[in-house]
Amino acid sequence: MRQTIFLMIVCCACAPALAKPLTKPSTTAVARRVDERLAAELFTEDTDLAPAASDEVFLRRVWLDIIGDVPSPEQTIAFVLDKSAKKRQRMVGELLDRSAYGQNWARYWRDVIFYRAADERSDIAKLAMEADLTKLLNENSPWDRIASKFITTRGDVLENGSTAIVMAQDGRTEETAAEVSRIFLGIQIQCAQCHDHPYDNWRREQFHELAAFFPRVGIRPVREVTKRSFTVVGQDNPSRRRPKDNSNRPHSEHFMPDLNNPEAKGTKMQPKFFLTGEDLPLGTTDAQRRQQLAQWLTDSEWFATAMVNRLWSELVGEGFYEPIDDIGPDREPTAPSAVKLLARKFRESGYDVKWLLKTICQTEAYGRASRPRPGLSDTPFIANVPHRLRSDQLFNAIHTALEVEEVAAQANDQQVFGIGLRNRPRRKFDDIFGYDPSIAREEVGLSIPQVLALMNSTRVNKLIVSRNSTTLKRMLGEVRDDEQLVVELYLRWLCRQPNDEEVARALDYRRSVGNRAQAFEDLQWSLLNSAEFQYRY
Amino acid sequence: MSSRLRHHTTLSMRGGQLVGRRDFLRQVSALGLATGTVNWTDVLSASADELRSRGMACILLWMQGGPSQFETFSPLTGHQNGGETKAIGTNVAGIQIAEHMPHCAKVMEQLAIIRSMTSKEGNHQRATYFLHHGYLPLGGVQFPNLGANVAQQIGDATAELPSYVRIGNRLANAGGGGFLGVQYDPLVLRNATRPPENTKLLTSEGRYKRRLRLLDSMENSFAQHAGADIVADHRQLLRQASDMILSPQMEAFDISRESQSAHDDYGPGNFAAGCLMARRLVEQGVTFVEVVSNGWDTHQDNFERTATLAGQVDQPMAALVSDLQSRGMLEKTLVVWLGEFGRTPRINPRAGRDHFPKAFNAVVAGGGVRGGQVVGSTNAAGTQVVDRPVTVEDLFRTIYHTLSIDADHENDSRIGRPIKLVDGGVIVEELLS
Repeated sequence: MRQTIFLMIVCCACAPALAKPLTKPSTTAVARRVDERLAAELFTEDTDLAPAASDEVFLRRVWLDIIGDVPSPEQTIAFVLDKSAKKRQRMVGELLDRSAYGQNWARYWRDVIFYRAADERSDIAKLAMEADLTKLLNENSPWDRIASKFITTRGDVLENGSTAIVMAQDGRTEETAAEVSRIFLGIQIQCAQCHDHPYDNWRREQFHELAAFFPRVGIRPVREVTKRSFTVVGQDNPSRRRPKDNSNRPHSEHFMPDLNNPEAKGTKMQPKFFLTGEDLPLGTTDAQRRQQLAQWLTDSEWFATAMVNRLWSELVGEGFYEPIDDIGPDREPTAPSAVKLLARKFRESGYDVKWLLKTICQTEAYGRASRPRPGLSDTPFIANVPHRLRSDQLFNAIHTALEVEEVAAQANDQQVFGIGLRNRPRRKFDDIFGYDPSIAREEVGLSIPQVLALMNSTRVNKLIVSRNSTTLKRMLGEVRDDEQLVVELYLRWLCRQPNDEEVARALDYRRSVGNRAQAFEDLQWSLLNSAEFQYRY
Repeated sequence: MSSRLRHHTTLSMRGGQLVGRRDFLRQVSALGLATGTVNWTDVLSASADELRSRGMACILLWMQGGPSQFETFSPLTGHQNGGETKAIGTNVAGIQIAEHMPHCAKVMEQLAIIRSMTSKEGNHQRATYFLHHGYLPLGGVQFPNLGANVAQQIGDATAELPSYVRIGNRLANAGGGGFLGVQYDPLVLRNATRPPENTKLLTSEGRYKRRLRLLDSMENSFAQHAGADIVADHRQLLRQASDMILSPQMEAFDISRESQSAHDDYGPGNFAAGCLMARRLVEQGVTFVEVVSNGWDTHQDNFERTATLAGQVDQPMAALVSDLQSRGMLEKTLVVWLGEFGRTPRINPRAGRDHFPKAFNAVVAGGGVRGGQVVGSTNAAGTQVVDRPVTVEDLFRTIYHTLSIDADHENDSRIGRPIKLVDGGVIVEELLS
């Protein structure tokens, strides 16, 4: 450990002399400056800042945030007993090195993209997207490179995950443009599709000029004996038939419809990027259009700001801008200088996503204990804010707490239009518990079917009872002491030790029930069904 | 104030603030007392609109795949496009429907056939979306669908059962609560022969209640710090879910309680079971029920397949209408028969018909609609609407109107742009007596 720190110091010291562009800003220093700016912009002497989160809370939080799972009792105990001063920072680094990191965030982005799908048949593209993005994130491919892949994509949606956004929008010109802007810039310019934007300064032409980067993109079905799929194509010599605007067939230029005469051809639009006014001539090839857009878009300050704001909001619980995907020059952030600083440093890091996560996790704002979501008139960022686990996090946490393996995907899952896919437990679970991660988290409550699925489904029940070879059955045999078993169950489900009152209550309950197995089944049932288990805080 | 009452939100979680039904009433009364402007009677006496809409319900019979108009409600006789399908008379002079719908022919006086539905969307996914929302998909905007809007507008906040139920196989692109929130998503049943998933207790009722008490006490610790608002919501939700599954009203989901003669009236099959359950649910105060019939995408063997499909739908649909009428419920229950589009007049070489949104059918009954009539018509070949075109927006506006819902009501979408229940469209006045 000491050696590592020593090496780090040496590297940091000599790095500038080696090659300037490779030097990344120090995560520790930037985190400190962000906290300073938050304090300067938002806090006063009287601000009631939440204390730092306990080790148990912090550990569960970073596990869920970075790898989408919960720590085992052993990991919790080891972390709490670890006396090293830098253990939190080190844990973040270790988690980012696990392959589960890429998997967790690939699933997050899958939800960002597919919850807005225009068409549910695009579901077949989910697996490839998840797999490809997992790999890119684990390799720590820079965010601008990843965005460019999605924007300039071509190919079979079962094989090339970067087709996800185009496929989710069915290859349609306007929808694709709208989603690229929303996801990578956080700007919802599509409201200007039919009229000038009511609240922003975007004009209708500007939306259609953005759409003009995508008219040559389309989607073609692939119907082979062994495979049914779709291909994203970009075609420069579309057929001569009359172009039907906003279709999923390629056509050479984009036309803005005439609102007074929808049957008319409309106005031919030149590709022009609304944030900078840079443009391309009509007739430019598809590859050049999208390549150029990717470059202009990833150069924009809003590209960095959107990512910083999104990840900050996911980790700290509140965004600088809210909603997180409706930002832009006409919006007022809370703590403008803090978000500006973080966005600038993220850009200087070479759009290094792991760098950004490390930095946020090192801020005091992230590390504070959680409190209920503040109201509009309350000071933001004085505590971390809880939110409901995403479906994949909850699914993983249940499996980890019960020490059961996820049923593996079938080899032929992809082949039959997602039919096999849909029957996988994770997907079925997602049908019930999934939510769109871009919407404001205070709107993501639980629903009756969700509550019932955990309280009252045979699938879950058979895992939590003491029967045959279930984990509880084994524990009841191995741990003879009731109090120890209560502690064990709390560690498994809530990743913390129970307080005295909780132990006393559980033991009271155990006595009142009489039957030991039944009592602990009930306790396990209650832990699983508690709000605390289903939230990240 | 009264507009709040119309909202279905038994649980409002906006901004982390829980406004339960009782809490809300208490707030209203406290506010009334404080300001002296609202008294208890004001709160309880709803506006005229609400009185009209009270107890209104809608049953959507959804024909997934795009039902052939020619083999159901618009046979083409005397033209080669009609194929082998024959027309039969109905109990309304001058109205003929296809031979596969003999039961509906006997309740024709209750049905209004729209033969001039027209749209441009011939893709299943987009058309299914369109005919469920009244809007085409628009990147980034999560529109609520018809059922969700109806549930939100006139759903009964005092009911223990959900306001919106869908019976049938997974239906892609049919939508749900959208930006109104998950509380307006339909409760989905794969089929009507079993109760909804996870509503049957897995333990004795005594043990279930004992567990609930343990759980409730265990939530204290989280409630004391980070999760104060979350636990309050969660406790309310647990109560609501438990109220539902322990409610005697859950019997509405059990069609085995119906008499043999009722089962006989509706006939055999899943769709029939769904229609019977729909009637039971509406009777118990459910506001919107959707029953799905699959398999109408008859690109091949159209005549054989639609005869079979119509055989599954005709008797239950007619029985549903008669049943509602004999129970005095038809006046307050709008029944809508609909699919995402119609089928081509031209018969393809595989004896099939392809997608045809240009001229298709919808059928409505009850809810104050004047039955025994046909609205609109096509040319003899069935290729063009020649009289009284009805757009999807027109139909949706009419449905909302029939249910005493203001179709111009605006909801706030999540990005702050107000969205009407229907954008445009004109009420089809002929349908209303």
